[in-house]
This record gives sequence, structure tokens and C-alpha cells, in this order.
Amino acid sequence: MARVTGGAPVADGARVRGRRPATASGLSRNAGSDVRAAYLFIAPAIIGFTVFVAYPLIRSFALALTRDNGLTDPVFVGLGNFRRLFTVDPAFWPSLRATGYLVVLYVPLSLALGLALAMFCNQRFAGVRVVRTLAYLPVVLPAVATITLWKFILNPQVGLLNTILDKLHLPTSSWLASPTMAMPSIVIVMLWGVGGTMIIFLAALQAVPTELYEAARVDGAGPWSTFSRITLPMISPIMLLQVILQTTAALQTFNQPKILTNGGPGFSTNVLMLSIYNNGFSNLGRVPQLGYASAQVWVLFVIIIAVIALTAKFSSLWTYSDNTPD
Amino acid sequence: MQTVAPALAPSTAASGPAKRRRPLGTASWYVTALFISSVMVVPLLWMITIGLKSRTAVFEVPPRLLPREFNWSNFIEGPQAINFGRLLLNSSVITALSVLGGVLTAMMAGYALARLRFPGRKVWFYLFVGSMLLPGVVGLIPLFQLYKSIGWYDTWLPLIVPAFFGGNPLFIFLARQYFLAIPYSIDEAAKIDGAGHFRIFTQVMLPLTRPAWITMAILAFQASWNDFLNPLVYLYSADKWPLSVGMASFISPFAGQTPDWSYYMATNLLYMLPPLILFFAAQRYFIQGLGSLGSTTQK
Repeated sequence: MARVTGGAPVADGARVRGRRPATASGLSRNAGSDVRAAYLFIAPAIIGFTVFVAYPLIRSFALALTRDNGLTDPVFVGLGNFRRLFTVDPAFWPSLRATGYLVVLYVPLSLALGLALAMFCNQRFAGVRVVRTLAYLPVVLPAVATITLWKFILNPQVGLLNTILDKLHLPTSSWLASPTMAMPSIVIVMLWGVGGTMIIFLAALQAVPTELYEAARVDGAGPWSTFSRITLPMISPIMLLQVILQTTAALQTFNQPKILTNGGPGFSTNVLMLSIYNNGFSNLGRVPQLGYASAQVWVLFVIIIAVIALTAKFSSLWTYSDNTPD
Repeated sequence: MQTVAPALAPSTAASGPAKRRRPLGTASWYVTALFISSVMVVPLLWMITIGLKSRTAVFEVPPRLLPREFNWSNFIEGPQAINFGRLLLNSSVITALSVLGGVLTAMMAGYALARLRFPGRKVWFYLFVGSMLLPGVVGLIPLFQLYKSIGWYDTWLPLIVPAFFGGNPLFIFLARQYFLAIPYSIDEAAKIDGAGHFRIFTQVMLPLTRPAWITMAILAFQASWNDFLNPLVYLYSADKWPLSVGMASFISPFAGQTPDWSYYMATNLLYMLPPLILFFAAQRYFIQGLGSLGSTTQK
């Protein structure tokens, strides 16, 4: 750092040529000192990228091709891990199915509820800020704190949810203990944090020019056509981003199944991340299978890349953009 | 799910006469608002109720929703049961250091990317942005091995050191966007006055970019305070755990007996307090931070 200060007066201020300041070409042309300073400023990030991003990415793929228990030397097995995953392991397909089920259940509900909440909070009523703040509140709380709280809320005998349902004479459920309801229960817990989606949609809604709504009203458009012809197209770029971010996040869900069900009952909530964790880091006395878990990581990774690529590829069918040069 | 969906449906369907800003009638808006607020708040109130109950009253059937007894001692004995003070200290140190490192190095990288000209500027920018899409789980196992081989396993270093190396590419991206919006004439003026890059960065840029780094600091705080998977993987000894792992172990079936829910809920409230206080003190920055996520994507 001190070196930068020392070298910097060379920033021979004197002749600033008539550059346009606000453009990218307005960057200082003090080549020598700038390059040195730049690399000093960016060095931590570059080192971090190399050590904590690039290296693990390559290493992870190499690992996926080995059998490695973390104790003895890894053995190269080629695609053996993948073969075992797809043809032998009885837990693999159920974990893929559980992951897919979670994504299919959570992502559309999260987007729909998030948008509905955002539209609800985008109206002019006294107290709307309170509702917005409260809806966002669960997002702020530590994940472990809210998940454990919900574990008790979903308790079939003494939990809050069944107590309320019972008072309202609605059917109760054994929630997390039931093979069919366990995953929906996890999704309910995740949806309690829908305020995060709401805030982003709210920002998107507020960016829609009001003239469009004026024009629609003058033309006598009803609420539904206003929503489908104006609101949805105008926020579709944000919607696209949300679909990608939420799907990739949902594919990597770990905390909720780990704390709420630990994969059970049976394999019904044993999502891929949990399976990776159990194979790689299980402290249940089994030998860690780092190579095998890495192969699972790569399956997950390829799914994520495929989802992003497909969503982006077909996005032009349903997203709106002003200057369609894409 | 059924509990949430129907009540929200009317707001999308926007039923009723087409009053422009109020597609819902006033009464139905407030009924829905009350419902949404209850869904968010009642679980938290209930947590406090449980936290105040005696350890046996928790298992009453049917359970009471409002506290009839006030066992304030739960707020002392509960935390003692999991050595809360120690966990709080651990969490505080880990979080403080990773916030500091993450914000500082991201601001530095953002400054270089936005305001300095050097070969490879574009390449590094795209590499950082690209790494935002890389799922964190890809690095988990190789990094676990790396840390183990250099003696970092069961220390806090894996939770702190990466932050000091531009740990979160999102922050680098946000910092760069923010730096791009500052007029370059300011740098020129500072340079004419003889300031070097270090002084421009610390004395000119950091004050100007206050909203950006406060937002980042809040996001970094949340990420570190809430992180569960990383400490779970990298820390073995209970006395090194942060609160997240400690709290989860509080109710884990491995403890051998049924968890003490009243102790647990009292402690859980204390665990939630720091982020809650931060949220109400700096609400503007929370919203702004997420808003900036939304708006930057339109570029």
C-alpha cells in the first residue's frame, strides 16, 4: 500500500489533456503507475479467484474421476464413479427426483407469491410500508433460526400449524414425518422467506413507467389485460433473472432438508446436496467418499449449467426488450 | 401452502372495479394485509411464547398460543445450556473479519476495474462476473482437502481468509458499478493536487461510495452470520463453532435426548437479535442493496 502512495506523485498532474471525463476513455492514461497501482488493488481478488475458484473447479473434476477416502492415496477410476451413480447406487435416482420435485414445487410458487406480494405492496394504502417490512422480516433472520423454529411449528402434536388448523376445523397433517408431505413442508418453510423475491419484484414494478398504465386506462383495459399486457412484459427481464437465480439456488438447497428431515422419511427429501454432504463429509462413522461425492457435484453442476443455458436460450420467447438487438 | 395462496390470489387477479392504484377495495386490502402480517409475525410471537414456557408445558396438548407463565430464567439457562457466550464470541469474530475483508478487497478490485486502465481489465471483469454463476458447492470438496493439507481444518481460517481475497464476486461487481457512476473529474482534481491512488481511494472514493460499502457490509454480515454449511464442514470442535452450527446442534437428535424447546426458543430469540437490530437500524440499505441487484441486471 505504502508503495502506491510513494509512487503516485508521479501522477504528474500538470498537463491534463482535454479528455471527456465521464466516459470510459476518460480513464487516466498514466500508463506506468496506473498499471502497477491497478494490479496492487486487484491483486487480492485475482489471487482469490485463482486459489478459491479456478483451482477448486479443475481439482473437483479431477477428483470426480478418482476414488478418494481422504486417508489413503486416491485411485484413478475414470468414469467409474458416474457409472456407479447412474446404474448401481439405489439412492441416486431418488435424490435426483427429490431435488427436481423441490425445484418444481418451490420455484413457481416463490415467483408467483413474490410477484403477488410485490403487487399487493405496490399500492397506495396507509400502512403498506409496515406490511412490506414484515414480509421482508423472515429474510433477515438467520436461516438456522427460522428453520428450527419451523421444525417446531410443524410438530404434529404440539406444533402451531396443526393447532391452528385444528381450531379452524381444517385437516391437519403429520408434515415432516409424512413421506408425501415432507417435501411440501420444506417448501412451505422456504416460502416463508418469499419477501426476498417480493423486494426484487417491487423494485421492478416501480420502474415501470406510469404513462403505460395511464394509456391502458384510457383505452379501457381491465385489470387482467393491464397485468398481462403491461406489467408482465415490462418486468420480464427481472423475471428471467429470478427464474435462473432461484432455480440454481433451489437446486443447491441444503439447510432446510438437513435440519428439518435429514433426508427422511425414507429418501423422500434426500436432495442431491444432502447426499453430497453425507457421502463427502458424513461423520456417521462411514469412510468419506470424496471422489464419489465430487462426481455427484459434477452432475449437479451440469444440471445447473443446462438450466441456465436453456432458460437463457428460450428467454426471447417470453421476455420483452426495448431494443431487440439480441 | 394452502394457507398462503388463496389470500394472496386476489391481488394478482385484481378483482373489483378498475380503480387504478387500488385494484383491491380498501376493506379487502386491509384484511389481506392483516393476513400477510400474521403469517410473518405469529411464528415469531409463538417462538417467544415457547421461550417463556416451562420445560414441561411445551408438550401440553392442545398447546396454548399465549403465554400464561413467564419463565424468564429460560433466557439465562437456555443460553448457558449451549455455551451461548462462547458461540456468540466465535460468530462475532468470524463475521466481523469476513465483513471487513470482503468489503475492503471488493472495493479495491472495483476501483481498479472501474477507474484504472491496465491490460487484462476486461478479462478479469468477465472472469469475476462469470464466477458469480459458479455454484459454491463445486469448490467445497477440493477446498476441504486443500485446507486439510495445510492445517486449516478445524480452524476459522477457511471462513475468514477467502473473504480477504475478494471472496464475493457479487461485491466486486457492485463496487465496480458504483465506481463507474462517479465523475472522473474528481480523480483528475485529486491527482492535480498530488494525491496518489492510495489516497484517492481512501480519502476521496471511500467517502463517496459510502452507500455502496454499507450495503455490501450488510450483505456480508448476513452471509457470514447465517452461514451453516461451511462451518459445518470445516469446523469439528464444538468450542470453535459459530452460532449457526451450535444452534442446529441444540435440537439435533444426536444430543441423545429430546431437545428442550423452551430453552431452545429463548436462545433462538437471542440469536436473531443482532440481525434484527441491524435490519431496523439500516432498513434503507437492505432494500437498496437488493434494489441494486435488480437494477444492475438490466445492464
